Parts: sequence; structure tokens; C-alpha cells
Amino acid sequence: MAAAILTEDLAKIYVKRRSLREMALRPFARAERVTGLERVSLDIPHGEIFGLVGPNGAGKTTLLKILACLILPTEGRAVVDGAVVGTDDEAVKRSIGFVTSDERSFYWRLTGEENLRFFARLYGLDLEAARRRTTKLLAAMDLGAVAGMQFMNYSSGMKQRLAIARALLHDPPILCLDEPTRSLDPIAAKHLRRFVSESLSAQQGKTVLLATHNLQEAEEMCGRLAVLDHGRVLRQGSLAEITAGLPGRDSYVLTVAGLGAIPADARWSVEVDGKRDGLARVSATVERGGKALSDFLRAILDGQGTIVSCTRREPSLQEVFDLMDAPPKEAGPR
Amino acid sequence: MKTLGTLLAFLKRDFLIEVSYRTSFVLQFFGILFSVLIWKFVAGVVDAPRNTPGLHGVDYFAYVLIGLAFYHYLSASLSSFAGKIRNEQMTGTLEAMLVTPTSTGAIVLGSSLWEFVMTSIKVLAYLFVGALFGVVFRFNSLLPSLLVLVLTILAFSGIGILSASFILYLKRGDPITYLVSSVSALLGGVFYPPEDMPAYLGGWSRLLPITYSLRALRGALLRGSSFSDLLPDILALCLFAAVLLPLGILAFRFAVRRARREGSLVQY
Repeated sequence: MAAAILTEDLAKIYVKRRSLREMALRPFARAERVTGLERVSLDIPHGEIFGLVGPNGAGKTTLLKILACLILPTEGRAVVDGAVVGTDDEAVKRSIGFVTSDERSFYWRLTGEENLRFFARLYGLDLEAARRRTTKLLAAMDLGAVAGMQFMNYSSGMKQRLAIARALLHDPPILCLDEPTRSLDPIAAKHLRRFVSESLSAQQGKTVLLATHNLQEAEEMCGRLAVLDHGRVLRQGSLAEITAGLPGRDSYVLTVAGLGAIPADARWSVEVDGKRDGLARVSATVERGGKALSDFLRAILDGQGTIVSCTRREPSLQEVFDLMDAPPKEAGPR
Repeated sequence: MKTLGTLLAFLKRDFLIEVSYRTSFVLQFFGILFSVLIWKFVAGVVDAPRNTPGLHGVDYFAYVLIGLAFYHYLSASLSSFAGKIRNEQMTGTLEAMLVTPTSTGAIVLGSSLWEFVMTSIKVLAYLFVGALFGVVFRFNSLLPSLLVLVLTILAFSGIGILSASFILYLKRGDPITYLVSSVSALLGGVFYPPEDMPAYLGGWSRLLPITYSLRALRGALLRGSSFSDLLPDILALCLFAAVLLPLGILAFRFAVRRARREGSLVQY
């Protein structure tokens, strides 16, 4: 079965336009070039929630806009549900629902319902289908009660839900979400995440490409992720795959009976959270690789402690970012 | 059929937005009344004889009324295509429309339709108020008048789409709007006959579609000229439409492609 989204060595170079003054003063100078994307290759199967994480300017929105046919790539190929971007744009647009991060993108003097009906016609739905689909989506997004309210009176959460409803008007198999919870309060964000994970992905089987710099959100929602920075994919895969092989330290939580003193060592740091019923809860970060972990455990045993349990804690994406941001010597190859 | 439905959706959208500003909607018709009144009094002061060469036997008030009314089509063409594109860019709705399967051409055309409908209503209002103040219209050449109107809209739309291409590419500072609107008002026979201008200026009016459009419309509506009388102007308008419309569409396609390549399609 073909991938829902496939990109092969996708690249985007933005050439900065020169002012007339600049052209007159330096007529033969080369226009400045900015890398938007650099050889990005992704293979996202149908039904997956795939995350694009990275700081601002990493290239997440550029990638989504290429997939939504708003930007042409400089090199490489992007295929959406079997249709090639730049060659068969109409088919691409029929397969994709794009939720922009711009919450203004509606007609403020029209009601939510009027807005949706208008966009439904642009998605090719006839009058009756547009009416039915609009009513259904307004109800699904919990906007039925405010359907007749002018868009300008909507709260940020309502605007964002309306944007998702618009992206679903033509019932596309693929949904691209650009920072969908950026302007939402924690409760609204949680509801939205649940809607995407449970209703759109699990129940309807839609493929979701989620661009976010909210690492917790990406961890919670996405099966696989790509970490982007300066237009390049630094790592991609599951969180475990992304963190595997990263230089630095791993975190462990141990339960130890009869814990004695643990000798200080530069390769580990230890924090004893408390003792109850003779059991101590030990949080430790230990240098990854080499003999550090063995030496640390041996140090506990040598102090007459008995290790009841030892769990490795998966690093959060924030920690991964921190490691990737570290100087190259410590962080390893990017 | 689907395209027609899409265009109707644009019309409905803009109608709903227009009537949501009720006061402004009503006031613009008062504006027309005042404008006609002003020119009625100016015509009284000017009191140009009917045998003035460029007037072709009609009185100055009737002459300027047609000029004022139909100049709105040029203004609509220049402002609607480029203005709407810029407005939609700024509100973020252009991006939302461009991700739908509706073609860019249909989006541009649809976004401008309401402006033409409103212009037509305004033109009718001008003619109605003019008739109240004594202008006599001939309806025996209604069909040729409609043909001239359609050709006028097509030719002007070519210029308007060209102007929208500049907006897409340059974002601001579209030179077409400034140039065409001011030169047309100056030389195109809106307020006075080009024949009565110095020859070195009046001659340039032949390069403007509005000159042929207004001359034909005055002939048809004020003098009841026959189709054969209007034929030279109709042919000139056909030529303008045949050149300007494809040129505008080509320029627009180029601008869209270029903006997509630069990633500036929705920047403003």
C-alpha cells in the first residue's frame, strides 16, 4: 500500500528578493539564500499520527505548505496519497486537510456556519452536501450552539475548532495540523488532542501530520516523530529510536533496600528521594555507554544495598533537544 | 456547473458581508445621488453647447453622467482583482482558499464578482437619478449596449488581472492601477471629450479602451446609434479584450507560479 505522505530529498531554498537600491549598488552580487528544507525524506503510512518537532524556523511550516501545494519545492519530490505535489495539485488538495496556525483565516462578519458553507463549496460540495457536512462537523466540534454567531465573537478555542472543521469538510484521508494548540488554554488543548487521537486517528483512520514545538504534545500524540532544525531532519522514528545512541546521560529510578553511601563519581549524579519501610527511592543520571552503569550498580551493592527494582526512564523530547543543542563534541553527529 | 456553484458561493459570501455593514450599504446610494447632483450643477455652469465637437449633439450633463457611471467599471476592475487579493492575503483567507481544489483563476474571478454586481447596481442608480434630472435614454440599442458593456468588462478585467499579478508579485506598489486609472480619467473622455483636448494629448486617448467604451455607450444610450454605427468601437473593444485578457491571465499564472516558488504566495 502506498504511503500517505512520502517525501524524497525534499529541499526548499528561499532566495531573498533584492531591493532596487541594492541592485543598483551591487548589480552583480548574488541574492541571499536561506535554507527552508534540506533533503527531507519521510515515509508516513496511512493511519499514523506523525509529529514534526523543532524550534521556530526549523522548517515545519515550510514542509506542511509544500504538502498543501502553497509552496513549490526547489528539489526533491513530495507525494500525497499517490498524487505528486506540483504535478497533480488538485488531487493532492482533495486528499489533504490543512489547518493553518493563523486563527484569523475566516470571514469575521460571517457566522461560523456561513464560513464553513462557503469553504465547503470551494471543496466542491454541492449545496445540500455542504449544508449536511457543515451541520455534522459543527456538532462534532462542539460548535453547534454557536453556529449562528459571527466569527469575530468566537473565542480562540472556538476559532481553532472551526479551522479543524474546515479542514475536514471534504473528508480528506490526511490532515496537516500546524501548531493546532498554540493559542488554546490547557483544557481546550487537551480536548483537541483527544479529538485528533481518538476520533480522527483511531476511529476514522486518518493520517495526521502534526507540526508542533510543544514536545509534550508530540510525545503524547505521535507514534513517530521527525526532529527538524534549520531545515534538516536531525532524527526520526519513535521516541525510543530518536533517543537511542544519543550521547549524554540516561535517567534511572531505583528502589534499594538497605541503601548505604554511594561514592561520588563524575559519571553519575544521585538523588535519594526518601526512605519508607527500609526502601529508598533513588533517582540517578548515569553516563551513557562504557562501564558507567555497571560501576554505579556495583557501588550500590558494595554499600550493602539490595536493588529491588531498576527502571530506565525514557528521556523527554525536551531532554533530546537539550542534548542536540549541546556543543557538537558532547552531542555527537547531527 | 460546479464552477457556477463556486462563483455563486462567492457572490453569497460577499453579499452577506456587504449587508452586515448596513449603514455603509445604504449610504453609498446617497453618495451617487450627491455625485449626480454636483455634476448637474457643474453642467449648469459649464453650459456647453450641444454642437461642441466631442459632445456629438448631447448636452454636457448627459455626457458626464455616462462617463461617471461607466468609469466605475474600470475602477471596479482595477480595485476588485488586486484589492481583493491583497485583502484576502492580509486576513489569511487567501491561504485557506488556495488549499482547496478550486483553481486560482476561479478564486480571483469569484472574489471580484460581487464588485461587478455592485457596480452594475450603482450604474443603474446613476442612470435612474440622471433620468430623474432630465436625461433622456434611448432603449432601441439595448442589445449593442449590452455587448459593449460585456466587452468593456472583459477588457477592463484584463487590466485588473494584470494589476492583481503585480500585487501577488510586488505585494504593494502596483503600477497598473495608478497609471491606468489616472490616465483614463485624464484622457479617456470621462469628464470631457478627448476631441476637445490639445491634439498632442487627445491622440493618446486612442490607446485606452475606456475611450471606445464610453463613446459607444453614449452613442447607444443617448443617441440610439445603430449596431453598424457602433461597429468600429465594438471592434476596437474586441481587440483590447483579445489582447488584455489573455495577457492578464498569463501574467497572473506567472505571478502565482513565481510566488509559490518564492514561498511568498500569502505574504503581504
